Amino acid sequence: MVLALEYLTAALYLLASLTAGAGFTVARPVMLRAAVAVLAAGAVAHGAMFTLLHSAEPTPPLTHLPSALSFMAWVGTVAFLLLAWRARLAGLVALVAPMSCLGVAAAVFSTPATTALPGHAAGAGSLPHAHVLLASAGLALLGLAGLAGLSFLVEHRRLKKKRPIVGGAGWPSLEALDRAGAFAVAAGFPLLTLGVITGSLWQRATSGAYFSGNPHETFCLLAWAVYGVLASVRFGARQPAVRCALTSIAGFAFLGIAVLGVELFA
Amino acid sequence: MKLLLIGMNHRTAPLDLRERLAVDDAAPVLRKLVADAEVDEAVLLSTCNRVELVVLTREIEAARIRVRSTFRRDLAVDGLGPVEQDLESCLYEYQNGDAMRHVLRVASSLDSMVVGEPQILGQAKDAYRAAVECGAAGPILGRLFQHAFATAKRVRSETRIAERPVSVARVAVDLAAQIFESFAEKRALLVGAGEMIELALKALRGAGLEAIAVANRTAERAARLAVQFGATAHGLDELPALLADADVVLTSIGGHEPWLTRAVAERALLARRHRPMFVIDIGVPRNADPAIDALGDVYRYDLDDLAAIANENAEERRREQARAELIVEAEQQRFDGWFAALRAVPTIRQLRARVETIRAGEVEKVLPRLALDDAARDAVEALTRAIVNKILHAPLSRLREEAEREEGIAHLETTRLLFALDAPDAEGFDDPGGEDSERA
Repeated sequence: MVLALEYLTAALYLLASLTAGAGFTVARPVMLRAAVAVLAAGAVAHGAMFTLLHSAEPTPPLTHLPSALSFMAWVGTVAFLLLAWRARLAGLVALVAPMSCLGVAAAVFSTPATTALPGHAAGAGSLPHAHVLLASAGLALLGLAGLAGLSFLVEHRRLKKKRPIVGGAGWPSLEALDRAGAFAVAAGFPLLTLGVITGSLWQRATSGAYFSGNPHETFCLLAWAVYGVLASVRFGARQPAVRCALTSIAGFAFLGIAVLGVELFA
Repeated sequence: MKLLLIGMNHRTAPLDLRERLAVDDAAPVLRKLVADAEVDEAVLLSTCNRVELVVLTREIEAARIRVRSTFRRDLAVDGLGPVEQDLESCLYEYQNGDAMRHVLRVASSLDSMVVGEPQILGQAKDAYRAAVECGAAGPILGRLFQHAFATAKRVRSETRIAERPVSVARVAVDLAAQIFESFAEKRALLVGAGEMIELALKALRGAGLEAIAVANRTAERAARLAVQFGATAHGLDELPALLADADVVLTSIGGHEPWLTRAVAERALLARRHRPMFVIDIGVPRNADPAIDALGDVYRYDLDDLAAIANENAEERRREQARAELIVEAEQQRFDGWFAALRAVPTIRQLRARVETIRAGEVEKVLPRLALDDAARDAVEALTRAIVNKILHAPLSRLREEAEREEGIAHLETTRLLFALDAPDAEGFDDPGGEDSERA
């Protein structure tokens, strides 16, 4: 059942991506809205999949990278849907849907979704689970901030160059993109911080020290610190929106390389 | 039945003439028109760009004379004055298929001054409603106008003819919507009080912008605009303070040097904590220094930029117009088929009546001899009716279909000839059947 829901989610996200891409190409806002609806259906299936997964005994902690990516895709999708419900952001589906699709595809094409508990997590209680959920949710939201920042820069450049709009009337306004980015950072960074803290507690439970100095921990801590500086600059003093967008992109790129890159190439 | 449309529009008649013929209340004109024998139904469309009368008639020549006299006498209530001699040359006339196509094109905004503008559809609906309310529009013009409204909806949903704005003011509003999520809490600063500023002010108001400040060299003119649009009036000396609050700046005042320099804009941005500012400079010479483009939070568009976008959008609309014309063509053919089929209605009605007369007559002759009870009589009535209906069903359906084609008229003529529908009385036709019945 979990596997069937995972395939259904991937199919719906793919359909949302194709619909959004077509809507963007032919500049049809109605297709972008349809893509958002399909993405929402995918998110429901995705949520149902995680609910089933978490009713398993023992609950798999999603420490497997593809499972964590799938969870990130779900959090990012849900956050986007909430934002799109409140603001004119439907056009952003053209970027969010493919990302969500890739996240789920990583889990679909990897080993089973119900990842077994890794040996090094044994004895750590629910800390591995909490760490992955919090850190993944934080990363997903900061990824969403990065996408909003990227869209902001493209749109800003187009308006400055006085070029015609691409993607029709469904494309978000600069203000909506800026606000979406700010919300994603404001919600994502505290979650990431909690993820770092629970990771540190998990490390102490398994090895007796809060910090072991392995590449994953070192780069994660560094990336968290860098993002912390960028976030405090963003919210500390009102920055030009372009600079905020740049910090969102740069911060997420650094996080992505530090967390996922190290994980992949470790 | 013939359709006739006579009218004038912005392309054929000067404003002076259109103004004299424009009517606020179409009812008296329409009532007078349909009271005449030559006009069965009528709708009057009167807007600032066109005055058109669509009528349904059996006598096209008489209706032409009547409608043209309506233009001359009933529409121009105060007289046409010196432009009377121009009237005939300004009127255009369409009949049947051409008239249908014109109505469909008008409702779809393909004949408008600004192709794709949305107001004409509402005006056409109002005109039709007025005609219905005064009893001038009947089922056939009703069908035509409903078809025109459906066609307009199809054109709007299947093409992009109305998607992109083509006026400078609407382009400015459209650009503002690409920067700001909503206008509800935004503030606009209008510098100047000329005609362009007024047009843009109307467009911004229409888009939902409420907090508007007008600054001008002459305080009285600023005050006049402010009162008209519920804005606040200011002098130019207040500009720096106003600029710090303004999300949208619309400027068009005289002067050789731009008042919105980079230094002024930088100070304003600092004061407004880098919230974005949209500057629409429609002044000639320019009021905003292009150097402010270097500031990340300022989006400046001058008259040339706006005109370039408007022209590009107009070009896009022209491309879409070709697609819209194909839709109109297809819809006109559909309506034309329905309208043509109406030609078969009198023949079908007469044929049914003739056959029913024969059936009833024959039943009436036979029943007294059979000495049947009521139930059996009813059964015989039902049986003969069913036979007649079954025999007539296929030929009548075929007649309706054939009537939609011009070549099908010959079938109608043949039917009338075969069944002697144009004979002055039914005797000659009934007798043979009667004799047959007798023999039987």
